[in-house]
Amino acid sequence: MGSAERKDSLRYLYERVVGPLGYKFTPDAELADFLLEQEVKLEQDHGAPYCPCQGRTGVRADDRAIVCPCIPFHREHFDKMKRCWCGLFVHTDVTDPDSLPQFPPDEG
Amino acid sequence: MTDDVWVYALSTCPWCRKTKQWFTDSKIAFEYVDVDTLPVDEQDEVAEKAYKLSGGRRFPVVVINGEVIVGHSPDKFLEHLKGWGG
Repeated sequence: MGSAERKDSLRYLYERVVGPLGYKFTPDAELADFLLEQEVKLEQDHGAPYCPCQGRTGVRADDRAIVCPCIPFHREHFDKMKRCWCGLFVHTDVTDPDSLPQFPPDEG
Repeated sequence: MTDDVWVYALSTCPWCRKTKQWFTDSKIAFEYVDVDTLPVDEQDEVAEKAYKLSGGRRFPVVVINGEVIVGHSPDKFLEHLKGWGG
């Protein structure tokens, strides 16, 4: 499967996973596209669509928590921000994703 | 005296790019490292340093005059920049 097809299949899969969690793709289509492209590359290089904005340690149990969509592993934190860390997903009521701050779990 | 600014980033992260762009647009000198594009034998050491500073594995990690800010947050950057003065 080529990169473009894989990007589309990730988009198809993610929509069905994050909807029931109360999230949707960011309205910023350009950002979503860029992030999905990074995830396809990370999957090709490292075996899974890892979050483009979080670091891997090589420890499988840790790195599983940043495989997209990683919302369930960081639910409380992401709900506070109304977005996931890389901004690919936002709460379903969000219309202006640029207004959403990015802060670590112990802040905000 | 000028501000001492360091950015730990990932080349795949758009918020890291926005952070670097913000400092560039603000004409504030800064150093940065894209951890994931370092030679493999250097990555772990630098990544570990960023994780220790931030207490997690989220990027960007910004260190301004010794103060650590995790995430793209211009308001916080300004708070800490003012602290040192220019």
